[in-house]
Amino acid sequence: MKGGPVYTVIFMLVISAVFTLVLSLANAYYLPRIEENELLDDRRAVLYVFELDAEGGPEEVLELFENAVVSEMLADMEIYAHLDEDEQVLAYAVPFTGAGLWGTMRGYLGITPELDRITGLVFTEHNETPGLGARIDEREYLEQFRGLEITGELAYGPAGDDRLDAITGATSTSNAVLRILNNLIDRKIAELEVVLDD
Amino acid sequence: MTERIRQVISRNIWKENQVLRQILGICSALAVTNLMTNSLVMGVGLTFVTAFSSLTISLLRNLIPHRIRMIVQTLIIASYVIFVDIFIKANMPEISKSLGPYVALIITNCIIMGRAEAYAQKNPPIPSMLDGFFAGVGYTIVLLIIAFFREFLGFGTIFGYDISFASFELWTIMVMPPAAFFLIGTLIWITSNIFAPKNTKKSETGRKG
Repeated sequence: MKGGPVYTVIFMLVISAVFTLVLSLANAYYLPRIEENELLDDRRAVLYVFELDAEGGPEEVLELFENAVVSEMLADMEIYAHLDEDEQVLAYAVPFTGAGLWGTMRGYLGITPELDRITGLVFTEHNETPGLGARIDEREYLEQFRGLEITGELAYGPAGDDRLDAITGATSTSNAVLRILNNLIDRKIAELEVVLDD
Repeated sequence: MTERIRQVISRNIWKENQVLRQILGICSALAVTNLMTNSLVMGVGLTFVTAFSSLTISLLRNLIPHRIRMIVQTLIIASYVIFVDIFIKANMPEISKSLGPYVALIITNCIIMGRAEAYAQKNPPIPSMLDGFFAGVGYTIVLLIIAFFREFLGFGTIFGYDISFASFELWTIMVMPPAAFFLIGTLIWITSNIFAPKNTKKSETGRKG
């Protein structure tokens, strides 16, 4: 029988079922922990653009987030707002999505309530080249955006803003970041301005 | 076909090293070797997958119909790789982020299927598992050697730690994939020279990694 068509089909069905079952069980077992990790990463990212301490343990991060941040639906986006003790908005974290060099980039741009200054930038997801484009995750690069005034198009120095440097060897990724941010400021932040003015 | 453990080890790590002697697994050796941490995780992941897929394929070797054996091997390998991916995501989220899509790409690494086809198919389970395990170790060692030079010269760090006494102009080329070509080429040249007197035939060509 071995090698006959019936045996072959049955064998393939059985082995596929067994392996799929085992993988599904492993996935179901680990899924809550994976989701927890993702949520925590997201919370840390939002705290980072608000210049809050995002380096603490899981409980500290979640507690800090709970106390200082609320989520709001504004201009068709889920935006996080950083509130002080008197419920005054200190900054907004606007989510963005755009095309990087190899894949989709996602992250948050922190911006003052007057929408004239960047409080911070962070990426939550990207597929840039490890060691080159992936260095957009490094503090040295991200910290450059803190306190940057939005007067026109963001551009790297010396032609643009002298305080802003691209990453050596990762020109396409660096340019993609500014393209995404300029796009965000032109469209979404402009919409947000209209909503906030009302 | 009884092979001592010592022979399995020296065969897989040195005499028939998957990367240097068989020219397999080259794609990932080019891609992840600019940082030692990434290379280590990649190597450990591949070692795990090769060991367990060889074990599983060997256990099922008398049941798998010959004509569809490659599909079955791919299924088994893919299952282990998906498991590794889920496991790293759940327990080491930072590393999962820095490796990105490379973990899933272990599936395409020729070493695993190479061991399955060349060894696990016709040998008992335990030797097959050891063979797969040490093939993975041999691969990991080569990756770490390449990553050592690339990270040291390209970033001035080793396993992410700053080597402060070494101050020199960093070689950006080392960070990029072409550097791995030069380094792998050099290593293959060295090992081929060591083995050259024993080989009567010239090295085989036309294999892909």
